[in-house]
Amino acid sequence: MHNSYHSESAKITAISWQTNNVKLFRFEFERKVFGHSLKIKPGQFMELSLPGFGEAPFAPCNATGSGCIELCIRSTGRLTEKLHAMKIGDKVGLRGPYGNGWPVVADNKLPLAKQNLLIIVGGLGFVPLRTLILGKEKFLGKESKVQIFYGARSPDDMLFRHEYGTWKKQNIEVVLTIDKESTNWRGNIGLVTSLFDKVVLNENSTAFLCGPPVMYRSVLEKLLERKFEEDEIFLSLERRMHCGIGVCQHCAVGPYYTCKHGPIFSWTQLKNIPSAI
Amino acid sequence: MNQAQLESFVGYLKKENWAVFGPSKLATGKSESVEISPYLAAHGKVSKEQPPVFIGHLDQPGDLILDQRLPFYSFKKFFFPEKETLFDYRNNLLAEQDHRHKVALVGVNLLDLKAINLYDQVFEKDKYYQARRRNIFIIGHAIVPEIEDNIFEYKYEEEVLEHLPFDVFLATSTANNFKVFTGSIKGQRVLEAFGHADYEHIQYSGAVKEKDKDKRMEEIEKSLVNRHNQKTWYELGKRCLECGKCTLICPTCFCFRIDDIPTAKNCGQRQRCWDSCFFREFSEVAGGHKFLKSPAERIHFWYYHKFVRIPEEFDFIGCVGCRRCAKVCPVDIDIFEVLKEIENS
Repeated sequence: MHNSYHSESAKITAISWQTNNVKLFRFEFERKVFGHSLKIKPGQFMELSLPGFGEAPFAPCNATGSGCIELCIRSTGRLTEKLHAMKIGDKVGLRGPYGNGWPVVADNKLPLAKQNLLIIVGGLGFVPLRTLILGKEKFLGKESKVQIFYGARSPDDMLFRHEYGTWKKQNIEVVLTIDKESTNWRGNIGLVTSLFDKVVLNENSTAFLCGPPVMYRSVLEKLLERKFEEDEIFLSLERRMHCGIGVCQHCAVGPYYTCKHGPIFSWTQLKNIPSAI
Repeated sequence: MNQAQLESFVGYLKKENWAVFGPSKLATGKSESVEISPYLAAHGKVSKEQPPVFIGHLDQPGDLILDQRLPFYSFKKFFFPEKETLFDYRNNLLAEQDHRHKVALVGVNLLDLKAINLYDQVFEKDKYYQARRRNIFIIGHAIVPEIEDNIFEYKYEEEVLEHLPFDVFLATSTANNFKVFTGSIKGQRVLEAFGHADYEHIQYSGAVKEKDKDKRMEEIEKSLVNRHNQKTWYELGKRCLECGKCTLICPTCFCFRIDDIPTAKNCGQRQRCWDSCFFREFSEVAGGHKFLKSPAERIHFWYYHKFVRIPEEFDFIGCVGCRRCAKVCPVDIDIFEVLKEIENS
C-alpha cells in the first residue's frame, strides 16, 4: 500500500541568497523519473523533510515542468536553520505536491474575461506567486495584464528583485513599497494598501493575495471598495500543518482543510469564518 | 453461545496467537482510580456511579466483564495508538516501521463500534492504520431486550448492526446466552475454525443509514455554521482549563502531530502522536502567530470538528454519545448540555 508519509530523496543543486535571512534552494530528485513526472500547479506546496528536524510545508516557486524544485526559505526555526546550514549536494526529503493552487485560465478555473491579475503580496508572501509569474503566458494567456503590489520591510528584503526587469517586458507591472524610509529608495513608502491611491488598476482583474494575516483585512477593504466581487478575490492561507493530507486537523479553517481544500480560498468561502484571517 | 462457550472461544483465540483484550476486572493500573477535581468537589458533583471498568489484557478468559458499563477508556488506542513510529531514521535515511500484532477485542460496545466507523474513514488511505486494522479481530457486544418477536430482531439488525463494523457480534438478553452474528468473512472463518456454526451473518452496509438523514445532526450543524451561539463559546472559554482530558478520552478525537524524536546521535524515530486542539501551540505557525487565539476559539474548534467537519466529510455525526468527556472534565462541562444550548440558540 502507498505510504502517504513517504518522501522522495532530493539533492540540493543550487543555493543563492535572496535577503540576509532568506535563501533560494534548488533541489533535484534522486529518482529523475519522479522529478519529471511531477506536476505542480502554482500555489501548491510540498512537505520538506529533514530527519531529526521534522517536516514543514513550502510552496515551490520555480517555473513548472523543469524536473527540479525551487524553494525560497527564511531561516526562522529548527528545521529552516538546519536547512540554511546545508550545502550543495546535501539531501532532503520532499513529498507532495498538495493543495489546490491558484485558479488559472489554463485550468478553466478563471474565466478568460478575468484574465488580468492584481497580485498583492507582502514579505515572503511573494513566494507562491513566482511560479505563476514565470509561466504567465501558459497560465493566464498572452493578452493578460498583471499588476503586482509588493510590500517589504526594506529594499534589501525584496525577493526576486533581480527579475523584475525581465517581468516588466511581459506586461507585468511591478509596484513596490517599503515600510520605512531607507537611503537610496525612490519608490513608495508605506503599507501595501497605500498603493491603491497611487496606481491605476487594470480593468477586469482578479485579485490574488498572499502575505501575513495583518495585511489581509486592510487589503480586502480596499478591494471591496474598488468593487472587486468577493469571489474574484483569492487568498493563500498559512496554517500549521503536520500531515499535509487533510487528516491531522491542525490546518482546519471552518469546514475546510488548508492543505486539502486550500491553501487558496476565495473570499466568499472565508468571509463568514471567524479567525480565518 | 453460553458463557462457558464464550470463555472457551476466548481461550481458543489466545491459543491462536491473538492478544485478547476486553473490559476486565483488572484495572490497568491503580493510578487510574478516578480523581475528583477541586471544582467538582466544591460544587458537590461527586459521582455515585459504579466503579469503572478498564480494558485490559485477558490473562484468563474468565476475567472478561460483559455488562452495561462503558469501559472508562474507549478502544481508540488499539486502532490509533497514542504514539506510533512511522519511520526509523539514521542520518538522512528513513526506514519504514512495520506493525504486525494480532489483536482480538472482545466486548466492544455499540458506541465504541460506531467510533471504529470513523477511524476506518479517516485513516482509509493510511498505510499504518490499515496494516494494524487487518490484524484486529472485533467482537462486539450489547445487551438487548428479550428477543422474542421477530420484528424487533429484524429491526435491530437493519437499523443497528448492519451499520457497525465487527467480525463477530454477541447480543445478549439473558446473562448466560448470546445470540451470535458475524459481520465479516474473517469472523465466519474464525468462528467456524473454533467449531461454532450456530450464527447468522449480517452484511455490513456502510456507516450511514441511507434513507433517514439525521435531522438532529443537520440542526446542530446549521446552528454552528450560522454562529447562532457566540455567547456559549465565550462562557465555555471562561470555564475551560484547556487540560485536554476530553480530547484524550474521546473515542472520536484523532488529532495528531508528527515529531522527530532522537534516540542517539543522528538516529531517531519519526513519530505520530495524539495532539489536542485545546493546546495553545496547536495552531501556531513559524514566527509564533496563533490562529486559534483564545480558549473560546479552541473549544469552538473542537465542537466544529465533531458537528460540522465530520458530518460534511462522512455524513455521520462526530460524537458517539458516550459522555466520557463530561465524566473527566474537571470543570463539569457536559457535552449533552452544550448541545442542548446550541440547539436552543
